[in-house]
Amino acid sequence: MVKHHPNENLLAEYAAGSLPFGLSIGVSAHLHFCSRCRHRLESLNDLGGTLLADTQAVPVAADLLDSVMARLDTPVQQQPKPANRFNLPQVLEKLVPDLKSLRWRRLSPSLRVSRLQAGQDRYEVALHKISRGGKVAEHDHRGQEVTVVLKGSFSDDEGVYTPGDFLLREPGDVHRPRATQNQDCLCLSVVEAPVLLTGWFNRWLNPLLSFKPG
Amino acid sequence: MELKSERRDDWSNLLSQVGKQRDRSAFKELFKHFAPLIKGYSLSKMPAAAGPHGGDELVQEVMLKVWQKAPYFDPRKAAASTWIYTIARNCRIDLLRRGAKHQSTSLAADDVWQQEDENEPYSLLQHTRNQDSIRSSFRELPPEQSHILTKVYMEGKSHAEVAQELDLPLGTVKSRVRLAIKKLQVLITAR
Repeated sequence: MVKHHPNENLLAEYAAGSLPFGLSIGVSAHLHFCSRCRHRLESLNDLGGTLLADTQAVPVAADLLDSVMARLDTPVQQQPKPANRFNLPQVLEKLVPDLKSLRWRRLSPSLRVSRLQAGQDRYEVALHKISRGGKVAEHDHRGQEVTVVLKGSFSDDEGVYTPGDFLLREPGDVHRPRATQNQDCLCLSVVEAPVLLTGWFNRWLNPLLSFKPG
Repeated sequence: MELKSERRDDWSNLLSQVGKQRDRSAFKELFKHFAPLIKGYSLSKMPAAAGPHGGDELVQEVMLKVWQKAPYFDPRKAAASTWIYTIARNCRIDLLRRGAKHQSTSLAADDVWQQEDENEPYSLLQHTRNQDSIRSSFRELPPEQSHILTKVYMEGKSHAEVAQELDLPLGTVKSRVRLAIKKLQVLITAR
């Protein structure tokens, strides 16, 4: 049961297509798990349809209809829909061609990261894996960070998060996530700026969390 | 109003005909109606592309997609205008990303804004009501709220960009959007 959802503003920006591409990947992943938000989105799309129907019409070039009609029979290259191999959101099926070939980098004994190429430069899109029972250093956020739980679960001082849960952290939020005891936790994360470790011991680790948008 | 909603139903019927019978004359009707609207939509985000034929690129791409995807259109799930809106939105995102040289990725807007199969009967029930009443409810919004929604949707501006343009605090823009959506939902369920 998904308990944490994107707020109204985020979902409206997503429906409008004005949410940055990186964050939209996070919302898209959440929608895979959440029928409630898919339903909310339908209404927000309806609003877009209404606004389109009421927008100022601008005449198109006189020959545009003919040139479109002439192209109707051009065969379409059907992109094969990737088989849903790991029951992950569709957007990840595209981003992660093969779960086994992912290169994981160790950030701490219990935290691994694998960066994904999401073709934009404002956000770093990555998968994070926390080993069962593992703890992540307490950290602050310099920019917005979206986390969507994909498998397993983790918790922090505010609650327990299970697959589909969508978390938005703003600059200044400090938290210390830890995976639950019985299984590893896999998360999608979309981060605007490097995460800042706040514990005194961890400060020198910060350069290791170098920011690589992709 | 009555007439309008009837006419809008006609667009969904035409689109179904295009999908099921590959009806070219129905497609021409759709084109004549929607192409100028899509052009208006394109120009509101990319006025730099103005000039006699600026905006036609998006129109062409969207209308071709409409033809290709029409067999998947289901009038029980969405009105033609909503369905075409989502195609136009995705094409506009891709067009802007191509312009910004983000071609390195295989990820397209359709991968991030998918039309997932929605088999929940709950949403089917809601839909017919939504379509008929959103337009009139939208007109009942206070102008400062409808104005911002138009900027977010048609001009494709983030809340932060709208705040900057209108010289308003970001929190004000966010709360106006929230209030507007809440009010639309209340008006729609009350009808």
